[in-house]
Amino acid sequence: MKTKKLEKWLLLEQSGELSPRQLRRLNRELSDSEEARVLRSELRRLKGVLLTPDVEPSPWTVSQITARLRVENRPDMALIRILKPVLALAACLALMLGIGNFHGERASSASPGVVASAGVDVWDDPIGEDLNNLENLIVAISGDSNDVMEM
Amino acid sequence: MDQEDDAELLAAYRAGDGESLGKLVEKYKRPLFGFILRFSEGREEADEIFQEVWVRAIKNMNRYHHKNLLSWLFRIAHNLMIDRMRRSKPMLSLDTPMNTEGSPLGEQLAAVCLGPDGEAGGRELGLRIEAAAAQLPAEQREVFWLRMQADLSFKEIAKIQKCSINTALARMQYAVSKLRKELAGEYRELQKAGI
Repeated sequence: MKTKKLEKWLLLEQSGELSPRQLRRLNRELSDSEEARVLRSELRRLKGVLLTPDVEPSPWTVSQITARLRVENRPDMALIRILKPVLALAACLALMLGIGNFHGERASSASPGVVASAGVDVWDDPIGEDLNNLENLIVAISGDSNDVMEM
Repeated sequence: MDQEDDAELLAAYRAGDGESLGKLVEKYKRPLFGFILRFSEGREEADEIFQEVWVRAIKNMNRYHHKNLLSWLFRIAHNLMIDRMRRSKPMLSLDTPMNTEGSPLGEQLAAVCLGPDGEAGGRELGLRIEAAAAQLPAEQREVFWLRMQADLSFKEIAKIQKCSINTALARMQYAVSKLRKELAGEYRELQKAGI
């Protein structure tokens, strides 16, 4: 048996996962091969030397777990859990309706026919308006009707 | 650890006996918490994960069908830790200070290890093996500890890692062979001391 396969079988033997037939074959191998015996004792000792850690969770863990479970099992929390998907669905529908309305309003207030006949941009342009006001103010202050851009 | 007992305790808890949860936690706290602590960033996080494992287990009790409870708890812990790692993981090294006290992960892991009942020689050797195992890639390290300390079968480990038994076995073989190389001297000690 090749070393890799042997090691695999020894690991499976240690975890109790070898079939009776495989176990018989492994035992034959163990009685014939020194390498097999060395590998097996090495694995056994490795497992033996690693003891269970001497660490524990905080002493109030159980009470904290119980408290959390109590909170999560409260009837109002259960109701919220049940309602969650319904609320999410309602929110999605509201959002979709809102987006639909927004597009509808925009389309009706800016129909292409109106834009073409008026010959003006339908978008409000508050910055352009402010610039005009500023220009008028400068002209009024300077008392000069020259184009302010030429100053 | 009797699976019948576990099923009975879970049923009792479901029926309203709060104490049975305490008994279950008590029964499995050492292997489960030890495992979580090895893969988390200090006691505080390990405590949080430990609690979350039990909360999830109790909430999903109906999915537990008289199999190995400890293995199921490990699976929940594994999934929780993977989630956490995905959310927050910069690459960790053994020298990275992992807790508020600033002790490196390698030291923490070594400090986690053996109980007071360990023989002096075995304890020392165990510490060295633990430190070397801490340097294994996460998947191999997980198989190594699940097998060597939690005593899970390869079938159960494969289920936890969502891989085939052969993959779990191969990871274990890689881990053992790396440890063998890393700890050549200690392995010789293992051979002759018969610890």
